[in-house]
Amino acid sequence: MSGRDSLLLLRRSGLPGRRQGPSMNEKSDLLTLRSVSKSYGAVPVLHDVNLAIRDGEFLTVLGPSGSGKTTVLRLIGGLEPMTSGEIRLDGQDISRMPINRRPFNTVFQDYALFPHLTVAGNVGYGLSVRHVPRKEIARRVAEALELVQLGSFAKRYPTQLSGGQRQRVALARALICRPRLILLDEPLAALDLELRRQMQEFLKSIQREIKTTFLFVTHDQEEAIGMSDRICVMQAGRIRQLGTPHELYYKPNCEFVARFFGENNLVPGTLGQVQGELRSIDTALGRLICSVAGQPHLKNAPEGACAFAMFRPEALHVSEVHDGKNHFSGKIVDVAFAGSSTVAIIAVGEDRSAPRLRMRLPSRFSGSALSASETVALSFAPREAHLVLS
Amino acid sequence: MTARPSTIFLAAVTALVAVLLYSPLFVPIVSSFFTVAHGEVVWSSPTVAAYVSLAGNKEILTALRATLIVGACTVLLSVGGGTLLALYYHGRRSGRGALQFIIFLPFLMPPIISGLALLIFFREVGLERSLLTVVIGHTVFVLAIVYRTVLTRLQSLSRSLVEASYDLGATGWQTFWRVLMPNLSSAMAGGAILAFALSFDETMITILVTGTQSTLPVRLWAMMRLGFSPDINALVALILIFTVLLCVLAARVLIPKQVATAAH
Ligand SMILES: Nc1ncnc2c1ncn2[C@@H]1O[C@H](COP(=O)(O)OP(=O)(O)OP(=O)(O)O)[C@@H](O)[C@H]1O
Ligand SMILES: [Mg+2]
Repeated sequence: MSGRDSLLLLRRSGLPGRRQGPSMNEKSDLLTLRSVSKSYGAVPVLHDVNLAIRDGEFLTVLGPSGSGKTTVLRLIGGLEPMTSGEIRLDGQDISRMPINRRPFNTVFQDYALFPHLTVAGNVGYGLSVRHVPRKEIARRVAEALELVQLGSFAKRYPTQLSGGQRQRVALARALICRPRLILLDEPLAALDLELRRQMQEFLKSIQREIKTTFLFVTHDQEEAIGMSDRICVMQAGRIRQLGTPHELYYKPNCEFVARFFGENNLVPGTLGQVQGELRSIDTALGRLICSVAGQPHLKNAPEGACAFAMFRPEALHVSEVHDGKNHFSGKIVDVAFAGSSTVAIIAVGEDRSAPRLRMRLPSRFSGSALSASETVALSFAPREAHLVLS
Repeated sequence: MTARPSTIFLAAVTALVAVLLYSPLFVPIVSSFFTVAHGEVVWSSPTVAAYVSLAGNKEILTALRATLIVGACTVLLSVGGGTLLALYYHGRRSGRGALQFIIFLPFLMPPIISGLALLIFFREVGLERSLLTVVIGHTVFVLAIVYRTVLTRLQSLSRSLVEASYDLGATGWQTFWRVLMPNLSSAMAGGAILAFALSFDETMITILVTGTQSTLPVRLWAMMRLGFSPDINALVALILIFTVLLCVLAARVLIPKQVATAAH
């Protein structure tokens, strides 16, 4: 998708532009949630949520179904009252501000397009309820529709659009009011894979261009990794970790995040000694050495504490060279071709409860060098391995 | 194209049933165009005399006027009230179960019971019987229809439509007029037509709560006690045609909005 012309058009006319604060370089907090809790009746669904959303970032809320993602969005949008806590916008408490005054707009999961209005009527709704002059509405609607590449669809009704087109109308409708923050609740969930990919890129390019803060909800971790500046992982109504995709991928702070985020090898063990930026852990694979760089809580955890050694499938490789660290042998149980890469499942040790590891290698036309039931020597570099407290 | 025997048989049976069940409805229409002598239709003399005399019948014209006034007032009250009640019910506020029960009660009760209850009530509060009491009686009776029609539409609308409207900066009032009303209007119109049709031929409650004025069906009832006349045939024929038109109209209006817009 190339929306370059329309993006340029938008920039010139300054459609939803970020309000430029005094500090342009330093990313300041736009919105903060402080110990926000929410219960439906007696059922608590959010527990003490603290979250700071930075101005201009693409922040994704990621979590399994029922973890409270939608609830967070609805509290911020004002669609649902909080049970306790506060929400601040630019440092001002907006907890009690009614929905229609909050400078945020939502892209609903079902799009919520008004069936009785045309595409143009839908997109212009936010302006027309604010009594913006008709001429200006027409101009801004045309711009917004250009931006989402639906310029020629203005007179259609929502029922006459495809899912992807409705999605873009919903986005244009949310953008046109120039909100400080756009809330998107799984906006791509209803689209098929190909369209989803396109829309991911499209959303990202629009966000980059108009520099508006996006708060995006998804339960698809791949989508989250690909699109976000930062990701906030939720589980059972709590935020488990907030960080860049890279941080979450390589330095998860708990078992849940480590397992939720992509394929992983987690080997339980007990913590050993610290040596500089490395620390040993005794596991069924023997003594493994992992990196604790930049993770003081792991460096300072007591010896003998239960933890996991964690390394990604792509960090594991076949190596006959024995340098004494993180070296062990295992038996290949299965080799599966997965397109660009090939995954091998490896059992270490004879016993049934022995850890099973995943190894991911780039695929080769000539086929995999590995075959099932072969025994191989394996290793991984200490800096590719991390520790997770259990 | 040749039809199979089973298809022909089915068509024949359907036609027979249709003729047997529904032909009596057309007898008054046909016979209204003939003179009646000694209580029997004289088939040899086609005439529109019955309609001419109907148009000159002052009592019937007065009754027609009363019916139309009552119908219009009933429609206004029941559409307004039914819509408000549906909105209240949909808003999940307290007491909704009891409310719904009460709305449906007069519609489901035998009309004679509703009528008597109203009659006693009007006497107790000292309200003189008149067209006003008829309007009240009809409204109580047809409210359930409008309420149900509007509520069904309301429940089929996604809740997020209203949320989206607020989210885009609209006030409650704007949301009502710009989002809810346009999406409810066809249901309200359909409910209005049904309400009018019900009010138009409501007889039992009307007889009980009306004062000196009578509506068309009540007038018809009174005329029938005096004997079978061509006027009655003509009147029945007119009411029948009118009701059919209303029903066709209601069916058209109540077709889901999507189908209508898809045809743009
Ligand atoms: N209106 C409500 N009344 C009662 N419980 C609710 C209500 N809305 C949500 N919940 C509960 O709150 C919890 C969190 O719901 P929420 O919709 O925020 O989850 P989610 O993370 O968005 O899930 P999903 O990925 O399935 O959309 C769930 O356990 C849900 O059952
Ligand atoms: Mg959700």
